[in-house]
Amino acid sequence: MNLSDSKKKLALAGIICGVIAACLAWFGNPANMAFCIACFIRDTAGALSMHSAEAVQYARPEIIGLVLGSFIISVLTKEYRSTAGSSPMIRFVLGMVIMIGSLVFLGCPLRMIIRMSAGDLNAWVALIGFILGVGTGCIALKKGFSLGRAHLTNRMSGGVLPVLLTGVLLLSVCTSLLKASVSGPGSMHAPILLSLAGGLIFGVFAQKSRMCFAGSIRDVMLMKNFDLLTVIGGVFAVMLIFNLATGKFVPAFDTPGIIAHSEHLWNILGMYAVGFAAVLAGGCPLRQLILAGQGSSDAAVTVLGMFVGAALCHNFGLAASGTALDAKTNEVVAGAVPLYGKIAVLICIAACFVIAFLNKRKESK
Amino acid sequence: MLRKKEKKLIVTFHTTADAMAMEKACKEAGTKGRLIPVPRALSAGCGLAWCAETEEKEQIARIMEEKKIEKEALHEMFV
Repeated sequence: MNLSDSKKKLALAGIICGVIAACLAWFGNPANMAFCIACFIRDTAGALSMHSAEAVQYARPEIIGLVLGSFIISVLTKEYRSTAGSSPMIRFVLGMVIMIGSLVFLGCPLRMIIRMSAGDLNAWVALIGFILGVGTGCIALKKGFSLGRAHLTNRMSGGVLPVLLTGVLLLSVCTSLLKASVSGPGSMHAPILLSLAGGLIFGVFAQKSRMCFAGSIRDVMLMKNFDLLTVIGGVFAVMLIFNLATGKFVPAFDTPGIIAHSEHLWNILGMYAVGFAAVLAGGCPLRQLILAGQGSSDAAVTVLGMFVGAALCHNFGLAASGTALDAKTNEVVAGAVPLYGKIAVLICIAACFVIAFLNKRKESK
Repeated sequence: MLRKKEKKLIVTFHTTADAMAMEKACKEAGTKGRLIPVPRALSAGCGLAWCAETEEKEQIARIMEEKKIEKEALHEMFV
């Protein structure tokens, strides 16, 4: 089925993905996290002992499912193309930037949409930063930014990440080698088969519709094309209905329970870094997983960068904390961005500018 | 948003920057056309493509030759 020949079908793809996210939240995933790529990569990095934040360790089958779903559908439809060679180490750094920015805001662009649909005003504030970041990336594109072209490479290369992640899945099911949180967000999850199925189906529809959060805004800015934004609209609409129906729609700042903080400047700057880096890397965290699944080693390296970025965030205490209710005193403790997290975001933004304006398209010979 | 599908010339590129260079070159030369997302039927990637009238084919080939813009492929299709 051609999923992209009309806006209606694109919206349908978004709606299906929204339903999957809502279902997984219903069956146990942290409600307002539902299907956050950054959070889930961070949890998976924790499961692999890349960091030791005990509350966020769990090999999320959703991440594995997304990559495998994209891999399987692209092989079946003969769209799998093993490519590589478009400045991989720069992409690695962009992956780190995307993750650090996400964990200072507390969520990837997908979770930003999910938080917005739950009325979390912090996410609406962060959206400003995300749009500005994508805008800055678009200016760089206009000025001739390029990481160079990718080339077809050995057919097996594109299959490495899907195979490695299958290994992680097997380890998590068959052994006790991986860490799993007993409390905190990492301990909240839907049944494993449901998570895996959700990831697989989400992956297939994301591959078919080319769903991308950074790309949707980029396309509007560069070409006034609203196709990809339609997909995002579908996700938002479904999650909004789900939140309204289950009484989870609370329009407010500083809401305990939603893992978020109200340091506006850092919500904006965190998502600014994510939007900027995502345009330079050619896709948001979700899109990187999908591209990696359909054979791009460059996207796979970006994913590895995100894993390392997540580990850095928790090993060095860069990640923000969410506003929470103190169990003993019953007082609301405001979430905050630690000093090193703030410095890290500023370094990330500086890195984006260096990458954006020093990598120019060469006139081809 | 019902729009009659017309046969168009679609040029795809290896990088987004090549597509942006094409836009600039065509504007300078006064050749009509616009950037569009690469049609899904052509690619699972998410790059940009140049969309123009089919009769501009020679003009476009000349511009790419002059400005040394490398194309990935040239298609004629209904969009």
